[in-house]
Amino acid sequence: MTSLSTLPTPTAGRPQPRWALLKRLNFSTWLGMVIVTVLVLCAIFAPLITSYNPNDQNIILYLSPPSAENLLGTDQFGRDVLSRLLYGARYSLTIGFLAIVVALIIGSLIGMIAGYVGNRTDIILMQIMDVVLAFPSLILGLALVALMGATLTNIVIAIAFTAIPAFARIARAGVITQRDREYVQACHAMGFSDTRILLRHILPAILPEIMVMASLWMATAVRTEASLAFIGLGLAPPTPTWGGMVREGFDNILSSFHLALYPSFAILLLVLALNLIGDGLRDAIDPRLKDAS
Amino acid sequence: MTYNKHIFSGALAVLMACTGLASLPANAAQTELRVGAASADIGNLDPHFASSTSDRTLVAWIYGALVRFAPGSTDPATIEPDLAESWEATDNNLVWTFKLREGVQWQHGYGEVTADDVVFSLQKSADPKRSAFATDYSAIKSVEAVDAHTVKITLANQVPSLLGLLTNYSGGFIISKKAYEERGEGFTRNPVGFGPFQFESIEPGVAVHFKSHDEYFRGKPKIEKVTYRFLNAAAGRDLAFTAGEIDVAAGSTDQRWLQRMQATPGAAIDIFDPSELTVLHVNRTQKPFDDIRVRQAIAHAVDPAQIAQFRGPEFTRVAKSVIPSNNLGLNPEPGILPHDIDKAKALLAEAGFPDGITIKMIASQMPSYATTDQILQAQLAKAGITLDLQPVEHAAWHQMIRKDLSPLVDYGAARFPVADTYLTQFFHSASAIGQPAQVTNFSHCSVADKQIEAARTETDAKKQIELWQEAQKLIVADVCGIPVTETAQVWTRNEKLDWGFELKGSMSLGPLLTEQAHFKD
Repeated sequence: MTSLSTLPTPTAGRPQPRWALLKRLNFSTWLGMVIVTVLVLCAIFAPLITSYNPNDQNIILYLSPPSAENLLGTDQFGRDVLSRLLYGARYSLTIGFLAIVVALIIGSLIGMIAGYVGNRTDIILMQIMDVVLAFPSLILGLALVALMGATLTNIVIAIAFTAIPAFARIARAGVITQRDREYVQACHAMGFSDTRILLRHILPAILPEIMVMASLWMATAVRTEASLAFIGLGLAPPTPTWGGMVREGFDNILSSFHLALYPSFAILLLVLALNLIGDGLRDAIDPRLKDAS
Repeated sequence: MTYNKHIFSGALAVLMACTGLASLPANAAQTELRVGAASADIGNLDPHFASSTSDRTLVAWIYGALVRFAPGSTDPATIEPDLAESWEATDNNLVWTFKLREGVQWQHGYGEVTADDVVFSLQKSADPKRSAFATDYSAIKSVEAVDAHTVKITLANQVPSLLGLLTNYSGGFIISKKAYEERGEGFTRNPVGFGPFQFESIEPGVAVHFKSHDEYFRGKPKIEKVTYRFLNAAAGRDLAFTAGEIDVAAGSTDQRWLQRMQATPGAAIDIFDPSELTVLHVNRTQKPFDDIRVRQAIAHAVDPAQIAQFRGPEFTRVAKSVIPSNNLGLNPEPGILPHDIDKAKALLAEAGFPDGITIKMIASQMPSYATTDQILQAQLAKAGITLDLQPVEHAAWHQMIRKDLSPLVDYGAARFPVADTYLTQFFHSASAIGQPAQVTNFSHCSVADKQIEAARTETDAKKQIELWQEAQKLIVADVCGIPVTETAQVWTRNEKLDWGFELKGSMSLGPLLTEQAHFKD
């Protein structure tokens, strides 16, 4: 019989937190962070940046070019384009963020349970995830929004649903690599509950990978939201969304191409920034990838 | 902005030059017509159900009728023989006998058009289960085939214009009995008529293909093949037209579009009747719209002049009444409530809504509707009325509003230009949604039934008009519908395309395509 004094402690063998690796973030990652921060600040302080209500129509001034009064001009209803872009950032960022938070929580839980319990539970859960993953995210999101209606909540749910399998897979893989480590065995020996072992001991070890996945999928979520809005399944008018602005601008692209250009550029900038952050975090956390590159 | 425009124009010019599309291509001896439609897909090609602009345009090419409006006109005075070569009526106008042309052939080899087909078609038009326009034909007591080429129509009472009901429009189209019975429900997407162009195939969401009906009784059409492409996005349609990929395109009722097209080399513009009257129908049976003060508040909040100004005087004018202004029987002063935001707010407060109301409205995604709806949304917002728009695809919208799913319906339409048709379809209780003979009475209006019915059988023309005018006054006073604007049809075409007539009007809301259409060398 092994005496308690010879058992490994719950911290033995557990990977040390890898947040220190963030110091190795490259310039691109920092650039992405700056862009996202600026966009978030613009969204938060939109009422201070512009005095226009994004929904106020001024039909006499419709499709006006940029001017001192309307820095980016007006749209087909005479609404100020800059204010619609700034307020539109709120919806893109909110939907992108909330959808990923929801997907992260649900997906990670599913993946952790599958990886930890294993056997039939693992097979069933992951096959369900594979089925969801088989659908392109836009098509799945489109079907769900069409079914449930295009409200903020439903769009968040639809986009989150498409992202859940990605988080489930990465969480499962992380748990499988951790579950036989000494510190987990020590937790078992100490009589900790499975829930405690998963949430208090294994989760911190796999969280960095999950966060990298979150930053990459947030870009996908932003793109999906914009795509849904472009095909008419976004938030109802007159809510300013970037995808909706591209859609409306497209109708006037031959006379006022900037109406579609500005929101397209905003989407590009946000998605690019999120991808830069995701790639940078991944490189910093996984040295093998960095070495390979 | 000017600088930006120049850059864009330059880039476009370089692109066009590179692809050899700097100007509209020559169409010497061209026999294929390519049309760009402002529609996403086909709805229903059974002419007795075709209600969208796109479907109406197509059924007018496929089918014929006993009589027709002279091509290019919507004036009832121009009604001329089509399948019927002559007709006569009894003195009391209750029994009509039509002599049919002999040798008129159905498309796809379905043989000769006979009186049986006419009897079948008109009976179908009058049957609410098989027609969306049954109400219009309720006065028809019987339709009989006297012989293979003679049809007798007996009326229960006089109607304002029987010939109007028998034109190449809505329920007047004649279909092949044999084809309809053979094809069943498939007939809606595989139709057979005796018009100049026969249906060939559908590529869902992409195009409908036609070929000339070579046995057409007026002669073999000069155009041999027609491709009707679904190009719902206005910019995409314009680009396709400018690049020479299509020869005709539905236009946009927008001043800037008009200016741009007028400056396009080789492009001709057709602006034609009928102007479609847009009315905001308010469902009087649903709360809180059962309170007339709420309906009046909405009416006061709407500003039609602003919408007309936005669209441009070339196409749009403020509506005068709840029927189109070209209708016989128009009341030019029915007592429309003026735009008055303060009055709207006061009425809402009086009705128990001092903080305003929120209305869910299913809205079409078709650009012309979407634009009007968003302007209405902004106008109503000023009176504290939040219009929660729920955009859906246009064909789905047509179906949903016919199930009472939207308490407010913004509907643009033109009908046979005699007041009875529009009043009956939109404001008679028999046409209300949910009724056996439902048409488009979205408001469930019933306040003018007596006048509409009396006018229908009134033999004194002056009294008949007075009844129609009184009906409009009652409808406006009860705010069943709020008249907004009237907007003409606008299309652009390659100037080498000759319709074969001067296009001043088309009841089908799109260009009528006849055997005369051709490309000039």
